[in-house]
Amino acid sequence: MSLSRSPSPVPGGGWASPGLNLSSGQSSPRLSGTPVMWGSARQKRGGGGGGAGYPSFSTRNQGFFGRHMRRLSSSLPRFSTSPHYAEKEKLGRGRWSVHHLPLLGRIRGIMARMGRKMKIRLLILLMILLPIYVFYHSPLVFYWRRSPWLGGGKKFVIILGANVGGGVMDWKGAREWAIERDSLRNKKKYVARWGYELEIVDMSTKKRYAHEWRESWEKVDFLRTALRKYPEAEWFWWLDLNTFIMEPTYSLQAHIFDDLEKNVYRDINEYNPLNISHPFTDPYLDAESQSPIGDGKAGSINLVLSQDCSGFNLGSFFVRRSEWTDRLLDVWWDPVAYEQKHMEWAHKEQDALEQLYIAQPWIRKHTAFLPQRMINSFPSGACAEHGNDARIHYHEKDRDFLVNMAGCEWGRDCWGEMYNFRELSYYLNRSWWERFKEDFLALIWFKLTGQRVKF
Amino acid sequence: MHFALPPRKTSQPPPYIPRASRLPGLRRTRFKLIALVGLALLALIYVITRSNNSQHAAPNTHAPRGNPPVVLVTVLDAAKYSKAYLETVRENRINYAEKHGYQTLFAKIGDYSLNGSPGSWTTVVAARDALTKYPDCRYVWYLDASGFVMNPALKVEEHVMQPARLDELMKKDMPVVPPDSIIKTFSHLKGQDVELVLTQDKEGLSAGSFILRNGEWARFFLETWFAPIYRSYNFQKAEVHALEHIVQWHPTILSRMAIVDQRLINAYNKGVRGEEYKDGDLIVRFPDCAAADAQACETESQSFVQASRRAFASS
Repeated sequence: MSLSRSPSPVPGGGWASPGLNLSSGQSSPRLSGTPVMWGSARQKRGGGGGGAGYPSFSTRNQGFFGRHMRRLSSSLPRFSTSPHYAEKEKLGRGRWSVHHLPLLGRIRGIMARMGRKMKIRLLILLMILLPIYVFYHSPLVFYWRRSPWLGGGKKFVIILGANVGGGVMDWKGAREWAIERDSLRNKKKYVARWGYELEIVDMSTKKRYAHEWRESWEKVDFLRTALRKYPEAEWFWWLDLNTFIMEPTYSLQAHIFDDLEKNVYRDINEYNPLNISHPFTDPYLDAESQSPIGDGKAGSINLVLSQDCSGFNLGSFFVRRSEWTDRLLDVWWDPVAYEQKHMEWAHKEQDALEQLYIAQPWIRKHTAFLPQRMINSFPSGACAEHGNDARIHYHEKDRDFLVNMAGCEWGRDCWGEMYNFRELSYYLNRSWWERFKEDFLALIWFKLTGQRVKF
Repeated sequence: MHFALPPRKTSQPPPYIPRASRLPGLRRTRFKLIALVGLALLALIYVITRSNNSQHAAPNTHAPRGNPPVVLVTVLDAAKYSKAYLETVRENRINYAEKHGYQTLFAKIGDYSLNGSPGSWTTVVAARDALTKYPDCRYVWYLDASGFVMNPALKVEEHVMQPARLDELMKKDMPVVPPDSIIKTFSHLKGQDVELVLTQDKEGLSAGSFILRNGEWARFFLETWFAPIYRSYNFQKAEVHALEHIVQWHPTILSRMAIVDQRLINAYNKGVRGEEYKDGDLIVRFPDCAAADAQACETESQSFVQASRRAFASS
């Protein structure tokens, strides 16, 4: 039949324009293999029983997969290949269909299918993992420690006098830079750990004051600036650059301030290198001013410092925000005092404070001293005239909080001391894993092979 | 063998009863839930109280009860004034104090050890002593021996020291040391913040009559004023210049100080060095008499003492 080979059959016979009849859409079958004869196609359609005039050889909607493919595939998780995965029109399509179940319901379903033992095991696991996460990895702990009413970290500001010798004097060399870098990093880490504030101030010698003789009294001005800058803070901790926090795991609260009354001594006779006669005995003073310990309550302590072998040391000291502190910072520097004493006072503001403490009852009432090694241990090179003093010098057994390499710039090796203490601090504060590796595995390896290894 | 057949299910099933609560398990665990919530609350309370404990309470400074309201302090310098004159001064103070329920404190040069400083520094120590002896007083008023109370009807705590009254009285933005000191009194000071009231004459601040409010600030101020570093410095006029110095250099002092009109508490008998006394003023002072000669004060004060006695007698 020549007609059966015709490319465009029309059911009713004859020729018509293509695509205008019922099956015109299917006129070029995609089924591979044998060419479809007009006759067989016609036969199939007729005998398909559907009678609706649809072609029965369609590749679509054939078989289970064909019919359900779309539903199945759209319920599978899909990886977005498009960079704009949040396209509006696609939102909500192609997600897990189970997502539409309420979360609670699903969890309840899982829990219901789970055995009691399994539940308990899971609970225990959770109880172990959750604290580990919360205490070691989540930022939660940082905010907790920082918030003023939980950890109280915002109440403490560390003021670090940096850039000593920078500026116009400009004698800073590589070692000075290294010291500064180490000291800064040490403080930054400490502050990040406990949520305190860190204020780094520039101690470089500058032509700042109209009366140039005030130079190097900036501590007072920096403290005042910090008081303004951190209105939420309560305690301000001055630190010289040559200090190193040896035990970053000690928080200031736990170490000092939670139990301030017990930690400090207010009667200077307990350790009195300057031989200050204490308390006052002048009859015109009230009982509180004549008492060796002021009113004896922690609430009245506004200045906390320590004494070294030669008197007050202002390398590391605390002041609390109060009217008293404003007054102290105000009268600390006085031109009349300066004019009379600047030749005697080698340590400037330190001597001035001693002078104030000696002369004025209102200062003594609110000043307290910490044992030096709580906040200001010295390396063996400082205060070395009388050998090692358990009151003054650092000892690693006692895990002193902070080392102040006081006076290292005069004939000692600042960088060497800083380096040694840094390494010692790292060594003392190794994690349990490091200890296991270094103290146990490396030791065994050494015993077995005679070789020292570093993991 | 026969076994008992299970009873047949009824062919009319009971109507479906919806369960009482959406989550049937909840009822049993409700106790647990309540316990958990309670525990969480307790933990919260613990945290809050703990953080409150760690906050150190502000030092509870002793609040003076105002008994006596005012202590009148006078230094009786027997080297400068004659005995008879000092007797009239003492009588004047005691009369005034008795009238209003005040207390008096008389000090002599040499009562306090000054470590060799000029005797005029006794002024400062005497005021400090008054704070110690009368910790409950509201004000300490130092009035030099060269002055007399002329108007016994006026109470100093109402006439001068009331915050609202001070707001009107104090001179703001005024050079501390008269002609042209660049340090000026604070322009935004409130009456309730004033702790020290004093006056200025034509030469500078006058320490002959000043009123201090009892409190921590007063102690700080007097002890700072009395600092050995100022006493050993050769100020030309000892404590008066030291006062001018600390007022100008230390804003914590300047910010609590009010300068009022001289005639309120420190009128002079002659208008050469300051404002002249007019009838009805509280105080008259003879600033130069002690320097002239031993009897000058007695003669200068004669008429005023008479007037003062009449005023006390009539009131």
